[in-house]
Amino acid sequence: MSKSMLAINRSWGKVMASRPELREQHELIGSIQPALHYPQNWTYATSHSMFKAYTHPLHDVGGQPDVPVYYEEKEEEDWELRTYVLCETLGWKGAWNAEERRRRADVDIGYTQYLGIPYYGRWLLAAARMLVDNKHIKVYELQQKIDEVRARYVKQQ
Amino acid sequence: MSSSSKNTPVCRFKVGDRVRIKDQSWLFYSRVQLYARGVEGTIARLNYTDLVAEDETFNVEGEIEQHYIVQFRQQDLWPEYAFPNDTLQSEYPDRWLEPLNNSQA
Amino acid sequence: MTTATGGHDHGHIHPPAPQVEEISDYSVLEIALRELAIEHGLFTAEEHLHFTEWAEKIGPASGSRLVAKAWLDPEFKKLCLTDANAASKAVGVDWLDPTGAGTPSDYTHFVVLEDTPTLHHVIVCTLCSCYPRPMLGNSPYWYRSTNYRRRLVRWPRPVLSEFGLIVPPEVEVRVEDSNQKCRFMVMPMRPEGTDGWTEDQLAEIVTRDCMIGVASPKPGRTADKHPIHKARHPVGHEPKPMGVAE
Repeated sequence: MSKSMLAINRSWGKVMASRPELREQHELIGSIQPALHYPQNWTYATSHSMFKAYTHPLHDVGGQPDVPVYYEEKEEEDWELRTYVLCETLGWKGAWNAEERRRRADVDIGYTQYLGIPYYGRWLLAAARMLVDNKHIKVYELQQKIDEVRARYVKQQ
Repeated sequence: MSSSSKNTPVCRFKVGDRVRIKDQSWLFYSRVQLYARGVEGTIARLNYTDLVAEDETFNVEGEIEQHYIVQFRQQDLWPEYAFPNDTLQSEYPDRWLEPLNNSQA
Repeated sequence: MTTATGGHDHGHIHPPAPQVEEISDYSVLEIALRELAIEHGLFTAEEHLHFTEWAEKIGPASGSRLVAKAWLDPEFKKLCLTDANAASKAVGVDWLDPTGAGTPSDYTHFVVLEDTPTLHHVIVCTLCSCYPRPMLGNSPYWYRSTNYRRRLVRWPRPVLSEFGLIVPPEVEVRVEDSNQKCRFMVMPMRPEGTDGWTEDQLAEIVTRDCMIGVASPKPGRTADKHPIHKARHPVGHEPKPMGVAE
């Protein structure tokens, strides 16, 4: 092989993306798609179809189109295991039943949070909301506690 | 999960019965899938009697009902489905099922 | 060390500011809720620990063993299909654990789905992610995804092929959408090439994916191969608050 061909092969090796990078690039480029925007700000009326769509229980997704994706395992975060135990222990001791958890975390939460908040994040928000709604804790008490806990981790200046 | 309701559990169907999934308002909560509404199926199994999810989720003392597995042909669920042997099963409480008119079966 | 301008003498070097790793908003909220729940008497720390211990010990090994036993013993297989809760006890799973009345999310209505030469089962929960935790441990993340839940009921064969499983057209693919209180597990067919195998050898090829129905057991196939997204702070590696020794 000539020297110039060797040089081309070496530079080609550098230019060609590695497989994980290629996958990332494909998915990023593929996600740039035009979307139909219906601006929504204090609507006057909705069609029957739109009413049904807006009030559809979010969790009922079976049959909706979606694309093949790379199914990966996700290693569990420490807070995720604790969230699962928190929610189940609350259920065990009678604060709520699992069906209420599902309604709160999978339906009441609204579409934006349903798709945007991590799975166990929704469990957690559902538990928080239940504790407040069912008058176990006051919302101000919860807010204060959150700030107090966060302060334990704030970097000292 | 327990209920103080003392009703005799509603149980209108047996294995093999042909049923249709009702298509009722689903405002606020339902565990009956959009894809199954109005679709005909066959009772495949009787499971357990319990509160219905729509009641349990709001902590109301509702009635205890028989829950069934209903089997559907995939080609009855999805217009484009290509494989005639394939099926889908899911679970419904008694109140969401109606018997098929035998003359139309 | 005195400075030239006469500034105060420290006599020591300040230690560097502690490196605190970023803690997630969810971790903060979990801690807040758990502490408030205990303060308000909603549960005790001991009860929380009791459930944690159960959560940490469940996993797919019980399911693998259940299938292996069923393959070797026709009477046990019959029990799995007629009274799955009772059969579970043979592999150390009591569906009433750890509360005495079952878990809040998994209930006590376990059903084993038997594959045959003309029937292949695959399981999904389109509405949330219902899964037989006492028998299989916690669900894989992809099982909970909207993507899997949207697609499996309507395009089961393409989704299975993405997992590397092609089912012949004459074999019935049956999707079980577990949308209520039953909890399902697939009992796959025993593959060729396993004559004379021990229960241990058989259990080794019944992986979690085989019991969901997205894979088939084969001699030599002892793991479900998926890429792994690592956690930022995996279980046991959460950063400690300020002032708490590592």
